[in-house]
Amino acid sequence: MRPEMRMKHKTYDFYLMILTAAVLAIIGLVCLYGIGYYTYTNGTMPGWTKTALYGQYIDSMNQLIYPFVVLLLVALGLCIPKRIVPRQSLLVSGIGILTITLLIALMTEIGTSLAFLLAISIVVQAAVMVLTILGRGGLTYEREGYFVQTGSSMLHLGTVIFVFDFVSMRTSELHLGVFWVATALITVGTVLSFYPEEAGCIARLLRSGGRSS
Amino acid sequence: MSYQEYLAARDTVTTIGQPVISVIFIFSLALGIIAIYHMLSNDSRAFRLASQLREIDTALLVIGFIIIAWFHLRIYQTIELVYPPELANYMASTMGTSTTPSRFVVPLWIETEKLYFWTLCLSIFLAVTNYRYDFIRTKITALFSSAMNIMLAAFGILTYYTSNPFREPLPGLHLEITGWYQAASVGDPNVLYATLYQLYFRIIYFYNSEYMWTHPPMLFIAYASLVVTFVGCVFMLFRREKIFDHISYSHAKVGYLLLTVGMLIGYPWAVVAWEGKDWWWDPKINGSIMMWVLYSAYLHTRIYLKRHNMWRATAILGITCFLSLVFTYLLTYIAPGIHAITQ
Repeated sequence: MRPEMRMKHKTYDFYLMILTAAVLAIIGLVCLYGIGYYTYTNGTMPGWTKTALYGQYIDSMNQLIYPFVVLLLVALGLCIPKRIVPRQSLLVSGIGILTITLLIALMTEIGTSLAFLLAISIVVQAAVMVLTILGRGGLTYEREGYFVQTGSSMLHLGTVIFVFDFVSMRTSELHLGVFWVATALITVGTVLSFYPEEAGCIARLLRSGGRSS
Repeated sequence: MSYQEYLAARDTVTTIGQPVISVIFIFSLALGIIAIYHMLSNDSRAFRLASQLREIDTALLVIGFIIIAWFHLRIYQTIELVYPPELANYMASTMGTSTTPSRFVVPLWIETEKLYFWTLCLSIFLAVTNYRYDFIRTKITALFSSAMNIMLAAFGILTYYTSNPFREPLPGLHLEITGWYQAASVGDPNVLYATLYQLYFRIIYFYNSEYMWTHPPMLFIAYASLVVTFVGCVFMLFRREKIFDHISYSHAKVGYLLLTVGMLIGYPWAVVAWEGKDWWWDPKINGSIMMWVLYSAYLHTRIYLKRHNMWRATAILGITCFLSLVFTYLLTYIAPGIHAITQ
């Protein structure tokens, strides 16, 4: 990659990170609002969680959080194949997917559109993870190294499965099973992302059957 | 084994534990004073003395924890719930199990032991950090070490005053155990049934639950690790030294990993234990999500630390994260909801 291209690439990733951090901070603010609302309502109306108001509160919290979850999925590049397709095509595919998501939201409800976006994300991230583990596909990552990239792909896949499980499968019998799959992916992914060198040492040790080189 | 033996063990814990925590308090106070003096004077003798005080404080905290562990073992050995056969059969068939729990396997981080455990974990993190880094080498790193000592001293003093696990060991559990023995002595089967019925669920979903043995300790170890991240971020605000970011980040990684896994594994437990209860978007859950997203944002901003203004922004975010952590911890005591201590 030419230096000016690399610079552009870095600037693009930087602004994407700023957007991600801002969305995360807004989700934090929504939670803070939830704490305030719950505490205030409980103070003025003890036992309110047994009334219809509690259901309304849960719905309003979901409605508030969902758009930012969508934005987070976009900012993190979870729903768009940023590691597979060239950067120029990202904008087109991203806008395309978001347009369909918006249309579904207008025709049905925001939960359904989010489920669609998450389903797309799962397919994309699963493909990225498989290609990363196999070491194929010419994927683009911000950090070098097999374990850190494998960890990153597992973490991203785990995150989208986790959100999908909560948005679309909460009443399903498979809910907890899917939850554990997501948890395992997130945990292993985080460990590999944070400690790639140590993971590499363990892998080499296992490969050599415990013999020190 | 009997209730009398349990009471004797409880008295022993107070008799031995109270002097231990009093000495911890004295050493924490001394540590705080010496560390502040070092920060003001930069006297290397004060630095060494503070290091020694911190090591003694850590050793005392470990001794206190051993006493707590011994007490929990004695609870397991001495207290045995006896279920009338018909109640045992009813509970077993309701829960789909073949046995009814008769002994308490009480985790070591409940009630007043929570803050003590957090303080113990912090002292161990500080011991490891001081072992790994040669803080006395420069003036600013020595100041950093003293700031961490002040944090430990504050935790030690706070534990003594607000959450002393030896003054009245496990008051909630004690009430439950005493209530069971009183119900058994009355001889009224209705009272006995009601008490056992309530205790059955407390044992299954709280005391003996594998989640209680994993979810809270992971969070407390994470909290302790993130205290170090906080101190590092405060120093990042004033000095652009790589070591502060390194220490902050290495502890944030440990903290974030444990925070994530700890929070996640609490979920299946909540689904089962709080079935039919109103816990969705409860203040503590809101607070935990807020804390987690803020730490996620911190880890993201840290990637671009070398860019203009990002050093300062990351430090401010790291400090905000810790404030949200303290706020989330306090929510158990100040906000309503299923996690509230008053419930």
